[in-house]
Amino acid sequence: MSAAFQGITRPAHIAVATAAALAVGGLAAGGIGSDMLLSLLTQATIFAIFAVGVGVLLRQNGMVSFGHAAFYGLAGYVAGILIREMGWSGEGAVLAALGGVALFAFVLGFVVVRVPGIAFGMLTIAIGQSFYQGATTSRSLTGGADGLHIDWPQTLFGVSLDTLFQPHVMFMVCWTALVLCVAGLALLLSTNFGAVTEAVRDNEERARFIGIRTLLPRVLVFTLSAFVTAVAGTLSALNTGFVSPESLHWSVSGSALMMVIVGGYRRLWGPALGAMLFFLARDFLGDFAEHWLAIFGAALIFVIVFAPDGFSGALVGLWRRMRGGGKSRGAAAVQAN
Amino acid sequence: MTFINLFNGLVYGSLLIVMSSGLALIYGLRRVVNFAHGALYMLGAYIGFTIAQHTGFWVALVAAPAVMALVGVLLDRYGFRLLQDRNPLTVVLVTFGLLLIIEDFVQTVWGKSNLSMATPALLAHSVTVAGHELPVYRIAVLFFGIAVAVALSLWLRYSRVGLFVRAASTDPVTTSMQGVNTDRLSAMVVGLGTALAGLAGVVAAPFLSLSPAMSSDVLIDSFVVVVVGGLGSLPGAFAAAILLGLLQSMGAVYLPSLAAILPFLFMIAILLWRPSGLAGNRT
Repeated sequence: MSAAFQGITRPAHIAVATAAALAVGGLAAGGIGSDMLLSLLTQATIFAIFAVGVGVLLRQNGMVSFGHAAFYGLAGYVAGILIREMGWSGEGAVLAALGGVALFAFVLGFVVVRVPGIAFGMLTIAIGQSFYQGATTSRSLTGGADGLHIDWPQTLFGVSLDTLFQPHVMFMVCWTALVLCVAGLALLLSTNFGAVTEAVRDNEERARFIGIRTLLPRVLVFTLSAFVTAVAGTLSALNTGFVSPESLHWSVSGSALMMVIVGGYRRLWGPALGAMLFFLARDFLGDFAEHWLAIFGAALIFVIVFAPDGFSGALVGLWRRMRGGGKSRGAAAVQAN
Repeated sequence: MTFINLFNGLVYGSLLIVMSSGLALIYGLRRVVNFAHGALYMLGAYIGFTIAQHTGFWVALVAAPAVMALVGVLLDRYGFRLLQDRNPLTVVLVTFGLLLIIEDFVQTVWGKSNLSMATPALLAHSVTVAGHELPVYRIAVLFFGIAVAVALSLWLRYSRVGLFVRAASTDPVTTSMQGVNTDRLSAMVVGLGTALAGLAGVVAAPFLSLSPAMSSDVLIDSFVVVVVGGLGSLPGAFAAAILLGLLQSMGAVYLPSLAAILPFLFMIAILLWRPSGLAGNRT
C-alpha cells in the first residue's frame, strides 16, 4: 500500500515542482522554433490532462473508466453549442462547460460508482458510446457526424484570439493547465480527503466500519476526474475550433487509458508522461502509424503484465537507485496522516 | 409497423443472447470480463465470410465457430490461465489490448470497407405471418437464439460437466479440491464462449453487414445485457437481452430522438433499482 502514498508530497514540494514544471514549459515554448512540433506537443499536453483525469480515478478509486471520452467530448460540445446557438461569451461558455460536466458527473457518480468492480468499466464504455451515438444522430444540435465548428469570440479572458492562437502561446496555456491540474490534485490529495479516498479504495467495508461515509468520497473523486477531463476537452475545442463525435468515441477513452497504464497510474504525473510517450511514438512511427492501435494494444499488454507501475514507476525506481535508496517510503505515508 | 419492430427487436435480442451467454460463462469461470468478446465476434464473422466464399454458408456456420473455439482454448491456456492470480483489472486490460490487436488484424486482412454476406438460398425467402411479410432468415435467427439459450440451460442443469461448471463458478478452489480439473474446464468453457461469439458473428453476417465497427456496437450492447442481467448470470442475461432488443427497436419508432441513449437510460434505471443487476448479488 505504501506505494500509493509516494505521489503525495508536502505543499512546499508541490510548489517547487510546479514552478519547475512551469519553467520547463516556458523554456520549451520559447526554445522550440518549429510550429509543427509545438502543435504536436500542444495536442500531447491536452491528452496528458485527459489522461491525468482518467488516472486519478484509477489511483484514488481503483476504478477503470472506458468511457471518459464522454466528458472530454461533452465539454467541447457544451462550449460549442453555447457559443453557436446561444451567443454566449467565450468565458461564459468555458466556465459553463467545466461546471456543467462536473455537475453532470457528480449526479451520474451517485449511480455508477455504486456498481462494483469490473461492471463499472462495462458501464462506462456503454455510457460513453451512447454519447457518441447521441451526438452522431441528433444533427440539428450537434451537426451530426460532420461535427461542429466553433467560432470563438475575439477575446477570451482578456486575451485576444490572435495572441492565443500563436503556437507557443497555445502550448503554454495548455501546459499551464496541465501543471495546475496535477498540482491541484496533489495538494487536494495530500489533505484528509486523499487519505479517506485511499481507505475507501483499499477496503470499503472497513472504511465504513470506522465511520467513514464511503459513497460521497468516491463520487467526489469521480467528479474531480471528470472535471480534469473536461479541462482537456475544453482546451481541445479551443485549440482546434472544432468538436466532432469522434471525440466521444470509445477508442478515445481507450487511448487515454493506454496512456494511463503505460505511463503508470500510481503517480499523478504518470499518465501525463504516458500521453507524451504516446504522441511522440505515434509521430515517430510515421507511415506505420496506421497500425498504432495494435502497437499500443501490445504495449498495453506488455506493460500491465510485466511492469504494472509503468514508465513513471520505472523512472522513480531508477531515481531511487541512483540516490542509493533515497527517501524512505514511510515519511510520505506519515505526513499523509 | 409495430409488429415488424417487435419482431426485429426479438431477433436482435436473440443474437444478444448468444453473445452475452459467452461473456457470462467466461466470467463465471475465470472472473474475467472479456473486452475482446466483440472483437472475437467480428473475427468469427469475417472468417465465416471467407469460408462461405469458398464453400458455402453452412460450412462456414460450422467451421468458423470451430476455429474460434480453438482461439478461445489458446486464449485461456496462454492468457487467462497464466494471469489467474493477478488483479482482475490486469486481465481486463489485457483483453482490452487484445481487442485493439484483433481490430487492427481484421482491418489489415479484410480492409475497412463494408462487406456483405449472402443469405443462404434455403432461407432467402419470406413468409407472411399475421398479415406481415417476415424474412425466413430472421425467423431462423430468432429460433436459433432461443435454441442456444435452452441448450445451454439444459447442459448446465443436467450434464455432469454442467454441474462442474456451476460448481467452479461458485467456488473454483473447493471444486478443484474435489478432483475437478478446473483448468481444463476453463479452457473448455472459454473455448465454448468464444465459439458462441464466432457463431453469433456468422449468424449475424447475412443481416448486419460486416464492418470494422461491428464489434464495438455488439460488445457494448452485450455489456449492457450482462451488467443489467447480473454479472455471470445466464437467466438474467437472457431476460436482459430480450428486453434490450425490444427496447431498441421500439425506441426507434416511438422515441427516435432518444433511441441512441435508451440502452443507457435502461441500464441506469435498472441499476438504480438493483445495483448488482436483475439476477442478484454476485460481484
